[in-house]
Amino acid sequence: MTDNLIDSNKSQKYIVPIGPQHPALKEPGHFEFTVEGEIVVDASIRLGYVHRGVEKAAESRTWTQVLYLVERVCGICSHAHGTAFIQNAEALAGIEIPPRAKVIRAIAGEIERLHSHLLWLGVAAHEGGFDAMFMYSWRDREIVMDILENFFGNRVNYSVNIPGGVKEDITPEFAEQLRIKLDFLEKRLKHYLDVVNDDVTFRARTVNIGTLGKEEMTRLGATGPTARSAGITRDIRVDRPYSGFDIYPINMILDDHGDLNARFVVRLKECFESIRYIRDVLEKIPEGELSVKFPRKIPAGESMSSVEAPRGELFYFVRSNGTENPDRVKVRTASLCNWGTIVSAVAKGHKLADMPMILAGIDPCFSCNDRMVNIVGKEKNAQLWTWEQLRKYGINYHAMQEGFNVSDCGIEQLREEK
Amino acid sequence: MTALHPLFALFIFPAGLFLILISFFFEWLDRKLIARFQNRQGPRFLQPFADIFKLLAKEEIVPIGVHRTLFKALPIFAFACVMTASLYVPFFGFKAAWHIRGDLIIAMYLLSAMTVCLGMAGTNSINRFAVVGATRTLTQLFAYEGPFMLALLMPALVAQSWTISSIADYASNHTWMIVTQPIGFIVAIIGLIGKLELPPFDAPEAEQEIVSGALSEYSGRGFGLFKIAKNVELVIGLALITVFYLGGIVNPLLFSIKMVVLLCVIALMQSTLTRLRIDQTVGLWWQAGAILSLAQLLIIILVRVR
Repeated sequence: MTDNLIDSNKSQKYIVPIGPQHPALKEPGHFEFTVEGEIVVDASIRLGYVHRGVEKAAESRTWTQVLYLVERVCGICSHAHGTAFIQNAEALAGIEIPPRAKVIRAIAGEIERLHSHLLWLGVAAHEGGFDAMFMYSWRDREIVMDILENFFGNRVNYSVNIPGGVKEDITPEFAEQLRIKLDFLEKRLKHYLDVVNDDVTFRARTVNIGTLGKEEMTRLGATGPTARSAGITRDIRVDRPYSGFDIYPINMILDDHGDLNARFVVRLKECFESIRYIRDVLEKIPEGELSVKFPRKIPAGESMSSVEAPRGELFYFVRSNGTENPDRVKVRTASLCNWGTIVSAVAKGHKLADMPMILAGIDPCFSCNDRMVNIVGKEKNAQLWTWEQLRKYGINYHAMQEGFNVSDCGIEQLREEK
Repeated sequence: MTALHPLFALFIFPAGLFLILISFFFEWLDRKLIARFQNRQGPRFLQPFADIFKLLAKEEIVPIGVHRTLFKALPIFAFACVMTASLYVPFFGFKAAWHIRGDLIIAMYLLSAMTVCLGMAGTNSINRFAVVGATRTLTQLFAYEGPFMLALLMPALVAQSWTISSIADYASNHTWMIVTQPIGFIVAIIGLIGKLELPPFDAPEAEQEIVSGALSEYSGRGFGLFKIAKNVELVIGLALITVFYLGGIVNPLLFSIKMVVLLCVIALMQSTLTRLRIDQTVGLWWQAGAILSLAQLLIIILVRVR
């Protein structure tokens, strides 16, 4: 192996592999950075280490069960997933949830955004080696977690939604408690914004790093704070207001620098906007019921819905065939849209040291990207297998490895077919 | 201070065993302070000792593709370099275990040799993280070494001696050099952070990019020895700056307090600054550090000539 290295005058590629297990990664993913000295000249990405088959699992569960299943797609934006799914189900069932439930959904979404952005702030600062910010922002995030726990009973996967409405009511006592905690959070967030804007070493690592212009961002289809940091007016809460945001609108936060610093600024300012929104809306929550009756079976049909998750547009497609279970659930998460902005555009030409921060800049979520792909084509090895065939092939393969006979299972025939 | 038996001074106190033990204390204090600054609990008092004890007892894994002898010899060599350098440094108000003419140069040479050992340990490996880490370690060596050396040579210029002990005597009998040479002090203390690869100059071992830098492949005894060497280097650096800039050899208690205060300053800088990229580190040292220390040098020369 040493010989290969010594024998490398024919401009051999020097690839620094990051992952699947690496201190910078909180979830498994694999990145290959081709470097010349410290400069990254090429980057590639491979995901798929945490595929869990959620979409398939949804097809064998009832509508209510699927709601709790999709909340577990992402531990950070679980409310967004639940909302996006249940909006489809409610649209198919043709029911309108009460305004009070709508507003409570919006408030829960904004509390979730606060905790997600604070978490991201810490992780992104940690990737840049600024551990003090990491520790402090995660300490303050605990306040949001406490709010969630006091209100909904859980720190993560808090299941605010139920089919046809929400689970918990916002009482005046809770609203008072919430206001006090938000005041404290606002103070802390102001401090973080000062650090992001003024700290010399922090700015040295973020200003003009990972810059992507408005045109390029639009071409690559970025969403969420990543897109808004380049001045693209793209926010589902404003463009296509859903539960609650159609009653009380929210403002869009924009920045036109498009660099890493802008992503910090946009996310922090979004936190202020969320705090303002929660405060305003707490004053004027409409009175009324929390939920309406939700049918066990939903008429056949197709529905699409988008929700502005903390990371960007979260899209759900749901098809019903008139039974208790959904026929198809398709999830398209925000991280999937944003990966392109790193790998194809930003990475090249930057220093290796900037890579962790640029990666963290889009607030990536790995597990919600992973899909199983059927490749149907004329290529030699491309085959379309059913789940049953794949399972039998797996059994057969391992049986061959172990060396025992499985001919009575009817697998031999299957092998000839392929 | 009464003279100690040379062998005792060499192996037990103040150099040798005592130094290793006190370096655990300084590592603990450093980690604890940073943890408290960052709103964490931090390690217990015996944690660094337990770490080293465990590492020394563990198997050393020699990876494929390394030069075996070099791989095993480098940690020992690095450790020996640092321990030898410690002989010329007066610790805690006691006279240095040994002194010869020009031992300041020897001490600094040995401390740099330890960093070179780190670089060699990285390049010896075929691990990509280690190679990138080693490149950064050596790049950083060229960045801080010049200004840091100048910062320690300026007291020597003033004292007109290249021997650490004579400079210490001079420093005890004159105004603190932090007052007369403030720029030199600042460069020296920042240089020490760079030398020890502590944040914000920890690009050579930035875990988010290159795992553990040059030492990625080291485990067990080798890693333990490198760790001790780094801890001792921290104590030597603190002691040198205290002796030169904070009033020379005084009674042990006062001396220790001064060292701890210096450590607090270093810990504060570690926890409040973002890690610099290696190009930013080099730029900072050659644009600001070198010019500052040259300016200080110029001032000293002008004052002396007049």
